[in-house]
Amino acid sequence: MKNKLLTKLFLLPIFLMVGTVAMAQITVTGTVSDATGPVPGVNIIVKGTTNGAQSDFDGNYTLNDVASDATLVFSYLGYVTQEIAVNGQTTINVTMSDDIQALDQVVLIGYGSTTVRDATGSVASVTAKDFNQGVISSPEQLIQGKTAGVQITETSGEPGAGINFNIRGSNSIRSGNNPLFVIDGVPLSGGGAPAAGVGTIGGGQARNPLAFLNPNDIESISILKDASATAIYGSRGANGVVIIQTKGGRGNSEGVWELSSSISSSGVRNSYDLLDRGQYLQALEDFGNNPDALDFGFNNDFQQAILRTSTSTRNDVSYSKSYKGGNFRASFGYSNQFGVIKNSDQERIAGRLNAQHKFFDNKLTVSLQSSISRVNDQGAPISAQAGSTGDLIGSAITANPTWPLSETFDPGSNLLNPVNLLANYQSNSKTNRFLANLSLNYDFTDELSAKVTGGYDLSDGETVSVFGPGVAGLNQVSGVGDGIYNTNENENTLLEATLRYEKDLGNVNLDVLGGYSYQKFDRNGINSGGRGFRTGTLDDLQDQLVGTFEAADAAIQGGYQQFGYDANGGFVARFDPNAETPFEFDNTIPTFRRTIRAYYATVFDNFDELQSFFARANVNINDKYLFTGTFRADGSTLFGEDNKYGLFPSGAFAWNIHNEDFVGESVSTLKLRVGAGAVGNSEGLAFGQALLRTGLVGIGFNGDGTLTPAGTRFVGNSNPELQWESTIDYNVGFDFGFNNDRFNGTLNVYRRETDNLILTSQLAAPQQPGIVNITKNLEDGTVVNQGIEVGLNYNFVDTDDWSFDASFNIGYNQNEVEDTNQVIDAGPINGNGLTGAFAQRVQAGQPLFSYYVAEFTGFDADGFPTYRDVNGDGVGDPDSDKTFVGKSALPDITSGLSLSARYKNFSLSTFFNAQAGFYVYNATDNAFFTAGGITIGKNVTQAAITSGEDGAASTAVSDRFLEKGDFVRLQNATFSYDWPLEEDSIFSSLRLSVTGQNLFLITGYSGLDPEVSSNTGTINASAIPTRGIDYAPFPRPRTVTFGLNARF
Amino acid sequence: MMKKLKMNRLLPYFLGAVVMTFAVSCTDLEVEETDSVNTVGFEGILDPPSFIDGLYGSLNGQVGDQANLFAISEVTTDEFLIPTRGSDWGDNGIWRQLHQHNWLTDHAFITNTWNQWNQTHFAAAQLLSPLTTLTAEQSGDAYFLRALGMWVILDNYGQVPVRDPEASLLEDPAVIRGEEAVAQIISDLEAAISNLPAGGPGATNDRGTKAAARYLLAKVLLNKHVYLGTAPDGGDMSRVISLVDDISGEGYGLQAGYFDIFREGEDVETIWYLPTAVGNRIWNGLHYNMAPEIAGGGWNGFSTLSEFYDLFEGDSEINVPGSGQEERRGFVPTEGVAFTGDAGTTESGDFPGFEAGSNVGFGFLINQQYEIDGTPLNERGGNPLTFKRDFRDGDGNVSLINNDETTGIRVMKYNPRYGGFTGHEIFFRYADAHLMKAEAMMRSGGDATTMVNELRILRGATPLGSVSEQQMLDERGRELYAEFWRRNDMVRFGQFTRDWELKDPSAVGDTNLNLFPIPASQIILNPNLTQNPGY
Repeated sequence: MKNKLLTKLFLLPIFLMVGTVAMAQITVTGTVSDATGPVPGVNIIVKGTTNGAQSDFDGNYTLNDVASDATLVFSYLGYVTQEIAVNGQTTINVTMSDDIQALDQVVLIGYGSTTVRDATGSVASVTAKDFNQGVISSPEQLIQGKTAGVQITETSGEPGAGINFNIRGSNSIRSGNNPLFVIDGVPLSGGGAPAAGVGTIGGGQARNPLAFLNPNDIESISILKDASATAIYGSRGANGVVIIQTKGGRGNSEGVWELSSSISSSGVRNSYDLLDRGQYLQALEDFGNNPDALDFGFNNDFQQAILRTSTSTRNDVSYSKSYKGGNFRASFGYSNQFGVIKNSDQERIAGRLNAQHKFFDNKLTVSLQSSISRVNDQGAPISAQAGSTGDLIGSAITANPTWPLSETFDPGSNLLNPVNLLANYQSNSKTNRFLANLSLNYDFTDELSAKVTGGYDLSDGETVSVFGPGVAGLNQVSGVGDGIYNTNENENTLLEATLRYEKDLGNVNLDVLGGYSYQKFDRNGINSGGRGFRTGTLDDLQDQLVGTFEAADAAIQGGYQQFGYDANGGFVARFDPNAETPFEFDNTIPTFRRTIRAYYATVFDNFDELQSFFARANVNINDKYLFTGTFRADGSTLFGEDNKYGLFPSGAFAWNIHNEDFVGESVSTLKLRVGAGAVGNSEGLAFGQALLRTGLVGIGFNGDGTLTPAGTRFVGNSNPELQWESTIDYNVGFDFGFNNDRFNGTLNVYRRETDNLILTSQLAAPQQPGIVNITKNLEDGTVVNQGIEVGLNYNFVDTDDWSFDASFNIGYNQNEVEDTNQVIDAGPINGNGLTGAFAQRVQAGQPLFSYYVAEFTGFDADGFPTYRDVNGDGVGDPDSDKTFVGKSALPDITSGLSLSARYKNFSLSTFFNAQAGFYVYNATDNAFFTAGGITIGKNVTQAAITSGEDGAASTAVSDRFLEKGDFVRLQNATFSYDWPLEEDSIFSSLRLSVTGQNLFLITGYSGLDPEVSSNTGTINASAIPTRGIDYAPFPRPRTVTFGLNARF
Repeated sequence: MMKKLKMNRLLPYFLGAVVMTFAVSCTDLEVEETDSVNTVGFEGILDPPSFIDGLYGSLNGQVGDQANLFAISEVTTDEFLIPTRGSDWGDNGIWRQLHQHNWLTDHAFITNTWNQWNQTHFAAAQLLSPLTTLTAEQSGDAYFLRALGMWVILDNYGQVPVRDPEASLLEDPAVIRGEEAVAQIISDLEAAISNLPAGGPGATNDRGTKAAARYLLAKVLLNKHVYLGTAPDGGDMSRVISLVDDISGEGYGLQAGYFDIFREGEDVETIWYLPTAVGNRIWNGLHYNMAPEIAGGGWNGFSTLSEFYDLFEGDSEINVPGSGQEERRGFVPTEGVAFTGDAGTTESGDFPGFEAGSNVGFGFLINQQYEIDGTPLNERGGNPLTFKRDFRDGDGNVSLINNDETTGIRVMKYNPRYGGFTGHEIFFRYADAHLMKAEAMMRSGGDATTMVNELRILRGATPLGSVSEQQMLDERGRELYAEFWRRNDMVRFGQFTRDWELKDPSAVGDTNLNLFPIPASQIILNPNLTQNPGY
């Protein structure tokens, strides 16, 4: 290999010289520019040869030895590739135009790029010009609804809320259906950002894992959907891969400042129709209560008391410049987004520097993409896992309207006063994140290149969350106060080396890539909590929490893994793996200033490693027949001893039918793609599940504020056979384009079968003490997703004054669980009298997230609910007569429609999003808005008191609360105006815009919004995630944004 | 030439960088012990003292909880039921099914109890593995806890899965039943008695002692004939008697002042208590409006049947102080008591001069309940808070659902005036041992009347002329209500399958219900288990 290579190196110049002598040629010169000026770095190649040049700093180029009848090809990423016949000209000036051809769009695939036209797999890319506008708190919102078969749902309207990001349905029966995110070549660690629980109220929602990225820094987002594209990511590719590329400084030879600024106003689109004072007192009377005993004399709307109209701002500035041999872009952004519920906001400060420079005659390319950001979150006491007492929202929508709007009012009877709750809770998270990627690419020859990449991603976060002693009605917390202080440092290190060989053999083009990748995910931090505060503001209490940890940390000599103290004393637990007794317990703790009555802290520190070998070969025959084969071997510490490495092959074939002679000129694109592959999913595998680990018993508070005893135990039931979940995926696709792709589209049909399903489920008893579950791969069971996706684009009008484009996508996905005897209850429903209640079940023959509930058959003459008798015992009982009702929370159809029109400097773009064929469980109604609510003195909706239900009626889960969720939403409408500029203006462009988001919603759903996913927790070992459950969620706001974008 | 030179000079560097990447990063994928000790298989318990602490600690939750073992031992009997009140306590039907005896094989409490107590005996088996080094006393704890875990499983499910600690967790556990299981439990308890420390009555008997092991052995022997399906064995009965005598020989005995036994502090009746908060026993029946001052308070669920309440002496229509009831039925105070500063009590913040929580009664709460200053309390709808004997829905029909907040008599053994988080929940008590001895005498042809009357006189109840089986069961109910034993007693006396109010008629007489089903998920997981008949 090496010999051959060297031979070629020596021979290359000789060939060139021979060529010069052999033929009579001309020299062509010229300037390459675009709308803003000269473009350096454009590749100019004499078609069909290796003879080429690049435009210099001023856009000039010189190309020697060009046959007078040759054709020059001008290409540059982001511009339309142009072919110009020389026809004897010696000067050819070219104006490059932005790449508007959808099918020539560059798509990043793992460890390289291709174009939609050359791709063999099912890949899509959305670039900045097509991104959604408005308040975009994180990158995935930029492409929401833009691609067929991709469903992106924020779990709530909270700033920084987590996301469900599903590409072609859900493969896993447990959590872990989000794709792999790769940012500038660095794959992120799996899972969402950790959720911060809300004290004793319940667990929180997972946070958005991409919130640290400034959406304005993103150039493109590529989505790899099928296995032939994702197999290069092996054990992490099964849910698809989303590759995010940030902006560089290419094409800006003059240096461009860009300033964008926006201000937004958000409010709720709708709210619950609650009873006011008069209606409430009347309803109490009607339902046999004693209104006098419950009348506190006021008339307040507690729903409005926690809501607000919020104003958010975003400001970004960037400078980018390209120069001979390199380019760079630096940006700084600041955004501050306020939620429509008080005390919820997210602030982001983000800086980025991307630079690229070529050395040694462009042989060595050094690229750096780096970002540093700080995200500050503030959260309100909201949890979809709240039980009978509810959370901030639950208490607000059920609060007695005659209560005073007082922060100190205590309603008693286990009830929460939302105003008091809001005033006595404070939760803040701060996360610093540094993500950088440095790569060196060296072209040994035109054919052989190598690249070494180092990636580093450090996320350093802390959360401090307190309930002050003044909070009323919270068991164990009222009068005492309770708080947590957690830190979490995640360090993700990547080292990668790839070797690439490209060879043009005339009719055959060969592109072969091989590589090695090593990635390490380090985690460490503390979980600590305190109970029993001295007085102070909530800020003081937060300081006391952190201060107590710091004081203890300083006072304790040597390392420790856990410490704690309460009224009865204190202890320090130490760990040394090499000692005779690895765990040591001191039954005392050194003295330090104690501002909190009881406190504990536990340290964690562990890591996972992933080591991979991969290869890909692309063969292109005559631009007609394209073959791709990929292979990856992934070894991971997450896998068991017996299954250290997984192998993931894939292959694809594409036929460019339009390049065949029998296809007419009007057909600009016609391509058939066929691909298949095996990919894996290892999300859901956590540290050390394959090993028998002895660790410290988790620590916490007893009801009286003392600590539970410390001790050691087995941390889990170990499974040495554990491995990845495997998906076999088949995809057949057609790409077509007519009239120079003015009308183009794509059609894909796919089927994916996932088995080896990872499931945490009960181990056969007896199990390790305190731990019922084992994580294992199911021996049986397959999840099948199959579907069709269609994407269509049509450019109706395109003149200097007018243009009108439409882009439509629709995806149909069918999901089913097959061949397993597992029956797993899922979809917990929380609230009063609903402990252990659930609405969904996983079972063979049904889609995931299928509803399994009693069938409500109306109220009897007395107003008591009746249910269909399913088990034939003569009684319709809501709990023993559950059945599958043929409805699922997964949409059959997801669709998006973008319309954009331009008249001179005015443009209008609208984006509609629709989903159909899914059902929402209205757990808000189930838990709060029944006649039983008014009987116990809680406020309800108008509908609850007019349903004919008796006030003593028991409430159970049934299809009474199950509703069709189909909707069409005007997600986004942007009207913008490009300010006409004088030639000598300091601006090169100036654009003003107004954007509306979530402007209207067409749906038959009776709750606030059918696009919802409350994380109501888990009801059994399997921890099946929740979908389609509406439990008093953080409302999705309606937002209007005024924006300004200037370049100069 | 320049080009080539540069390239050649650079090439080694570049290849070097590639090689470095491999050298630095190539890994054998071994997990380091950064915050835990990691092994592929079981290598013995690393630190027995802290492991035993953790094991006793886990019993706190298993016993302190109102769900799981407590629920399947009490709510399945005539002692407790939890009607669904409006939207409260529906909880997926879980409480109603227990009382109606129509539980399904995936009932959460039946599953949890199975898992929890199997874990207890497995953890103890890990301690007893030859790979673990134990002191004699530690092995006494391990034998005691293994026997306890296995006995709870045998008593409720009739078969016990056992795992070899050294085998892979993916192997199917073997299952022992009947004679084999009983023999295993008895031999463990004998080993426990010889290895555990002697410990008389005291404030610290919250761990296994000789007395606790003897008590449990007596309990196993008294029930042995049930597990084997035979008649009671005379030898077992005399051994019960001698075991109780041994316990008494250590200083345990009956103690006057019934409700004071359920307070923190020393008494001669408590053989084994768990340092777990007693709040669950208090809050589960108390109305929301009854304990505003006591953090944790009032979940308004657990109630008793009037037929059980009527077992006690006294006018069934009234239970205020001094209405002729026996001590164990307790009373409903019409107002709170003056604050005395008595140990474990606090002064009311809202009503200075009164003892916090002293408006909440002892024993059985019926009729109007009062605020500490004597004001009649209201329920959440603003109507008077009067606990009713019957469970009727809005139309007056007897029903387990569609009840309002006031149906059912409430049971209060641990009183909130002594704190909701007091870590003192009694599991083994001498009065039970005393009645076990009496029963053993009765079952071996003797007369238990004197022994039963000894207890009754102490409790202020009229002595009985003679003690029949029925009276023995009733006496156990009156003495030991809400202490985990009702199901076990009713099964042994053949009454668990009799009819009672709001039981599913089709369940009456079904002796298969004397055992709970093996949880549905577990039957699939372990082919060595066989589902109990009738499920």
